[in-house]
Amino acid sequence: MIAIKGYRHGLLIVFNDAAQTPWFAHLRELEAKLDATPHFFRGSSVAFDVKDATLDEEDLRRAIDVLRTREIKLWAVISQNAETCARVRSLGLADRLTTTVAARCTPEQPAHLSEGARNSPSPSGEGGDGLFVRRRIRSGQILRHPGHIVIMGDVNPGAQIIAGGDIIVWGRLNGAVHAGALGNPKAVVCALEMSPTCVRIAEAVYIPRTLERGQRKKRAAQIALLKEQEIIFAPWDVLTHTLK
Amino acid sequence: MLPSILNGHAMNEHTPLEAQVITVTSGKGGVGKTTLTANVGIALAQLGRKVVVVDSDIGLRNLDLVMGLEHRIVYDIVDYVEGRCRLRQALIRDKRAAELFLLPAAQTRDKTAVTPQQMIQVCDELRKEFEFILIDSPAGIEQGFQNALAPADLVLVVINPEVSSVRDADRVIGLAESQGKTQIYLVINRVVPARVKRQEMLSVEDIKEVLSTEIIGIVPEDDAILSASNRGMPVVCNGKGPAALAYRDIARRLSGEHVPLEIPQALGWWQRLFGKAS
Repeated sequence: MIAIKGYRHGLLIVFNDAAQTPWFAHLRELEAKLDATPHFFRGSSVAFDVKDATLDEEDLRRAIDVLRTREIKLWAVISQNAETCARVRSLGLADRLTTTVAARCTPEQPAHLSEGARNSPSPSGEGGDGLFVRRRIRSGQILRHPGHIVIMGDVNPGAQIIAGGDIIVWGRLNGAVHAGALGNPKAVVCALEMSPTCVRIAEAVYIPRTLERGQRKKRAAQIALLKEQEIIFAPWDVLTHTLK
Repeated sequence: MLPSILNGHAMNEHTPLEAQVITVTSGKGGVGKTTLTANVGIALAQLGRKVVVVDSDIGLRNLDLVMGLEHRIVYDIVDYVEGRCRLRQALIRDKRAAELFLLPAAQTRDKTAVTPQQMIQVCDELRKEFEFILIDSPAGIEQGFQNALAPADLVLVVINPEVSSVRDADRVIGLAESQGKTQIYLVINRVVPARVKRQEMLSVEDIKEVLSTEIIGIVPEDDAILSASNRGMPVVCNGKGPAALAYRDIARRLSGEHVPLEIPQALGWWQRLFGKAS
């Protein structure tokens, strides 16, 4: 049983009964999970929680390969098993989730700014776990969370927000967003000013026509949602009709 | 969060300040980082501060040229880091001010010749001697930028009033923030008020809206800059033009004086005919 969680430094993949099941079975399950929603994971860096499983170097290398072919980086493996921890360290990976700021933020790997660790998120479900961020998201920054994401601040052009659930922006949305990225077509995107460069909901993509330079969009709260495989935008005040 | 330096803190100009490492960066090239580093460095020294300007653009050094100190380079930062000289030997004294030095970059190597840790060590050495350590960062966000950013207490992001420069600055500010830098200030360089008025250039408000970063200086476009750079005699040395004044204001703000920020305005036909004073 694999669970995907949002953690302080990004994503955490938890292998719940790692010791009871052979590692290759876990990897197969992981592959299936990653391939089901490749957009959500591509370009991310993840940590594993393998509980008390004993993993040798070959096991870890195989896991790294599974991730690398999908453009995902493994940066840490946490385990209660001392032997596994030693292997993890010998491969140059972290064996805990606390790192210095500098180590996390090399230029090649944008900072995963998921703040506030939360326990088990239920991806995109009612009452599911959320990530609340109170600041501006700048160009080149990626916010990725398996649950909902709420941002109090603007999302600048060049920034990316990827959520398993809904995305709510209390500010201007000028970047690229992907709601329901773990495959939930019921996910929505809301913003006080909706002028994104790209909106994805589950599998659907919408790229707005480029606004004439200098032309300002009218400031009105909007909601984007999926209706018959297509992303539509509606003013906030008709939300109650459209959400049904 | 630290209080803004722009509120003014050092009332007495003869009180020595705690050493401060200031990194001048931009993301985009050609926006005026080197010119700003040279001018603000000299202006700070003219205020009586102990200043060293450091060129971190290894392989493409320019700061020595702009300051007119090119022919005096014997050792550079890479020589010091690799143990071929003492720090004192690599520092070049600029006689135009009492306490002004240049630490030049090497021209023969590339950015990998120095690591961020070494830059921190070099700056820690310099902190013992100087009040202001100004680092001229190379363009880009690769290792040269990381080297320049690592030791910074304060980051000056230079932008021109146009969209690509603002976009790159947004990226750079994001990277600086994720490295734990909290003191980040903006310098808007090469502003032409008349073109802002005609909406050909971004206004200060437009820029604030995207970057929401405190502005420490607005430098108007000034014809004197080009010839000053070519002669190796930065405008603050003797210039009275608008850019020289703006650079001096930035230096005063950095050394703790409260200098109100003025947004340059386009002159009307009446003012153009009879001069600004009327």
